[in-house]
Amino acid sequence: MRTPDTKPLRGVGGLAVDVLLVATLAALVGGVVVLAQRWNAPMRATTPIDLDPRALPGYTLLSLSRGFAAYLLSLVFTLVYGTIAAHSRRAEKVMLPLLDIGQGIPVLGFLPGLVLGMVALFPRSNVGLELACILMIFTGQVWNMVFSFYGSLRSIPADLKEVARIHRFGWMKTFGTVEVSSAAIGLVWNSMMSMAGGWFFLTVNEAFTLGDRDFRLPGVGSYMAVAIEKGDQRAMVWAIVAMATMILAVDQLLWRPLVAWSQRFRVEDLASSDKPQSWVLDLARRAPLVRRLHALRARLTERRTSRRAPAPETAAAEPGPAAAARGRGLLLVAAGVGAAVVAAWGVLRLLGLLASVSRREWLDLAAALGATFLRTAGALALAAVWTVPAGILIGRSARWSRRLQPVVQLVASFPAPMIFPIVTGVMLALRVPFAVIASVLMLLGAQWYVLFNVLAGASAVPHDLEEAAETYGMRGRERWKRLFLPAVFPYLVTGLITAAGGAWNASIVAETLAYKGRTLETFGLGSTITRATASANFPLLAAGVLTMSLALVLLNRTVWRPLYRLAESKYSLNR
Amino acid sequence: MAAPKPQSAPEQPIAQTIGVSKSYKDDSGHERVVLHGIDFAVRRGETVAILGPSGCGKSTLLRILIGLIEPSSGEVREHGEPLRGIHPGAAVVFQNFALFPWLTVEENVRVGLNGRPLPVEETADRVAHAIEQVGLAGAERAYPKELSGGMKQRVGIARALVGRPELLCMDEPFSALDVLTAESLRAEVYRLWSDGETGLSSILIITHLIDEAVYLGDRIVILGANPGTIQREIVNTLPHPRAYRHPEFLRMVEEIHDIVTGVHLPEEPAPAGKRPSVGPIHPLPGARTTEILGLLEIVSDHGGQMDLFELDAITEYDFGKTITVVKAAEMLAFVDTPGDLVRLTDFGREMVAVDQPEKKLLFRKRLLTLGLFAAVIRLLAAEPDVARSGDDVKAFIGERLPGCAPADLFRTLIGWGRYAQLFHYDAQADELSLHTGRDRDD
Repeated sequence: MRTPDTKPLRGVGGLAVDVLLVATLAALVGGVVVLAQRWNAPMRATTPIDLDPRALPGYTLLSLSRGFAAYLLSLVFTLVYGTIAAHSRRAEKVMLPLLDIGQGIPVLGFLPGLVLGMVALFPRSNVGLELACILMIFTGQVWNMVFSFYGSLRSIPADLKEVARIHRFGWMKTFGTVEVSSAAIGLVWNSMMSMAGGWFFLTVNEAFTLGDRDFRLPGVGSYMAVAIEKGDQRAMVWAIVAMATMILAVDQLLWRPLVAWSQRFRVEDLASSDKPQSWVLDLARRAPLVRRLHALRARLTERRTSRRAPAPETAAAEPGPAAAARGRGLLLVAAGVGAAVVAAWGVLRLLGLLASVSRREWLDLAAALGATFLRTAGALALAAVWTVPAGILIGRSARWSRRLQPVVQLVASFPAPMIFPIVTGVMLALRVPFAVIASVLMLLGAQWYVLFNVLAGASAVPHDLEEAAETYGMRGRERWKRLFLPAVFPYLVTGLITAAGGAWNASIVAETLAYKGRTLETFGLGSTITRATASANFPLLAAGVLTMSLALVLLNRTVWRPLYRLAESKYSLNR
Repeated sequence: MAAPKPQSAPEQPIAQTIGVSKSYKDDSGHERVVLHGIDFAVRRGETVAILGPSGCGKSTLLRILIGLIEPSSGEVREHGEPLRGIHPGAAVVFQNFALFPWLTVEENVRVGLNGRPLPVEETADRVAHAIEQVGLAGAERAYPKELSGGMKQRVGIARALVGRPELLCMDEPFSALDVLTAESLRAEVYRLWSDGETGLSSILIITHLIDEAVYLGDRIVILGANPGTIQREIVNTLPHPRAYRHPEFLRMVEEIHDIVTGVHLPEEPAPAGKRPSVGPIHPLPGARTTEILGLLEIVSDHGGQMDLFELDAITEYDFGKTITVVKAAEMLAFVDTPGDLVRLTDFGREMVAVDQPEKKLLFRKRLLTLGLFAAVIRLLAAEPDVARSGDDVKAFIGERLPGCAPADLFRTLIGWGRYAQLFHYDAQADELSLHTGRDRDD
């Protein structure tokens, strides 16, 4: 692969890059200003959406700024929550299961509470509604970031932590130099995934009905929602183009550079051909403006350190471990009591809601659960059927997997619900019943996780095993059965677990579809939840969300965990 | 050698433990004693080596001395005062270097001055000087991942020295390096200490290599395992610089060898009458069956009798590992260990002579005389149709052998029992049952 040119740019080229950088910065500031104006504007629950494509860039920028606001929130939450969970054994015992539960609650489960609460908090301006929307995007982003950060913190080598203690790193320096640095690669990667995941429910997050109240925020998601409702195919295509452009731009301008930059935190050096590259980062590093800023910063730090008053002789005396532990303990107990009170109140409210759900409705829910279960199982089976051979074929070729991985990842980050109406239209024309179409719709989002993991697994098959298979005359089917399928099995399980979560969540948007002025619906848990939201039947909504969360936990315990354990113990290539 | 500084009143040791013990709970909740009743001190102007097999708690002792770990009981002092927090005059060199991969060499060394109230210029000078001292000038802007293992450890040493510590603690500092690099770094550490330029007063090195202990240590403290206790202390008066091949050096190594093997393979009084049919319950040394069989083959190839030292050189294990395997073979009565010798018994000769299936039978016969196997078989035979979970068996072992790690013991138990076709163990289900001959496990 090419080695990036590191020569500083001069002349016209340098000027052009500088201008581009400044323009990008200006656009960002402009976006924030526009959003702020919207926030201060008087409350308007339903913004009329203009289906003219010329209005789309503005809508897209609004959606993007919501996504970023949600991401910033996710990042802060991740750093705080992950740090506490990794540092306190006692807190960890409560915080990890809470994360698991949170991850399992579908976004619509959060919707009524968030919207009604926020609107009640800010009854006169748009802030409440905007915040509710941002928080809903946040619930689609945050979970894997926290898991990744927490996991990284827990796997920091003990000797690095000891170095930090011996050389009296303060709290801040330990956090920066040891903890965040160790977690950086995983955090950047998962941020990218989270941002993508956050878009999934955009059409719902920006336009939804709660009983007799319609809420609609200007954005590309609501544009799509309106286009689908009206059956305006031209507008649908425009929305898809806008969304794809936005994802591509964010990927190239933000995530690729960040991924390439974060390689400095790698522990072992990669072969240069495997190093993630970013043309934007290369270009920015060569820009005269950036170089000048770098030099300025270096000068400033030097001046600051030389002027800083000497610290007291006994550098940062460590508080006695016992005293510190006592302080932490007290804080934890207080936090624990607080959390317990809130949880108890929540459970009481929930029970109150559930009490008014009739027996009939519970029975319906059970049946709906069964229907959705079959549908997700079908979707996963379909996903495995095509992604396993495809993933193995691509993954076995180093060249193809290097080329296709970013593409697959980009395609995967496109919110599948945006192409639901098109797929549905085609399949309806082929006279496929909607009950089956719903399963295919779930597949649309979920399949990528499986493909991605199988691909990674196939490219991780050690070369010597392939050579052994070759030497002992394993060919064709035999080789697949004995080598490739077992080798990718652990990856397949990981992919399926993620995909299953995605498919269950997607049932909410896949089992009900407002399409060309009519509502397509098929019996299932997702459509039940959607109907309950639309008719503001909060008891049924709570019961539906609870049923889905419990089903997910149960499936995890009874199906996925044993499978995962089998994969780790028998098919892992690590030992 | 560094000239001892003029002494005034009776001087207090730089770091000292008095009656220190440490125990912790392992995964299955059993209390495990790592160190027991350790009285140890590092004084001004000396180099001390702590020598012991892996798992004897020597790293834990180092960490207690400098305040990284609190002892379960006993007292830790620095210069005669109770130690609070981290020892102010100590620096540590780690086995796996412990460098920050995302900091350059220079930034990593600078970590050694963190929190010191120094003017910028002096910080820069001292960092540059430390890098030069370890011979890394020119590599300041490199990242650790670009360096070889030896160079990484040089960075680790520079980081430790830049703060001008009086005590340099090294935890198996060269065991991640190849032999030649280790030798040259050892010599350099000695030079850095002896030329007095670094301000270093004392060195404490933790090692499992006798050569290393004799090369660097003026005082060698031998630790025994399970639980870690101080077994012997030897004063090493060989003149510096020491040469590995010098007869005096070799004699010293051999003397320590004898002590170490005496510590770990206590000479058993010859059994008065017949061996009892089943012995008491003892922990199993963590050796694999293949390693035990390999050892028998090697000894057999050398005429059925070998020096332990010679054996260690051939196997290329670290010394603790060799001892473990010999201990296992001795427990199974395949070898005798009179003094430093490893000698095949009649059983051992038979074992080498017969072919695979019979090896298994012989092995099984020996296992049945071991108390632990007899006990576990009794446990399984109580309900022959019910498989026991691994956790049950671990708990059972833990009750009978407190102070051992049941998980390690269990692994050895399964390994030996499987080879002898005594047990059937299903790792997926974590179920242990008696081998019935109905199904094969391998």
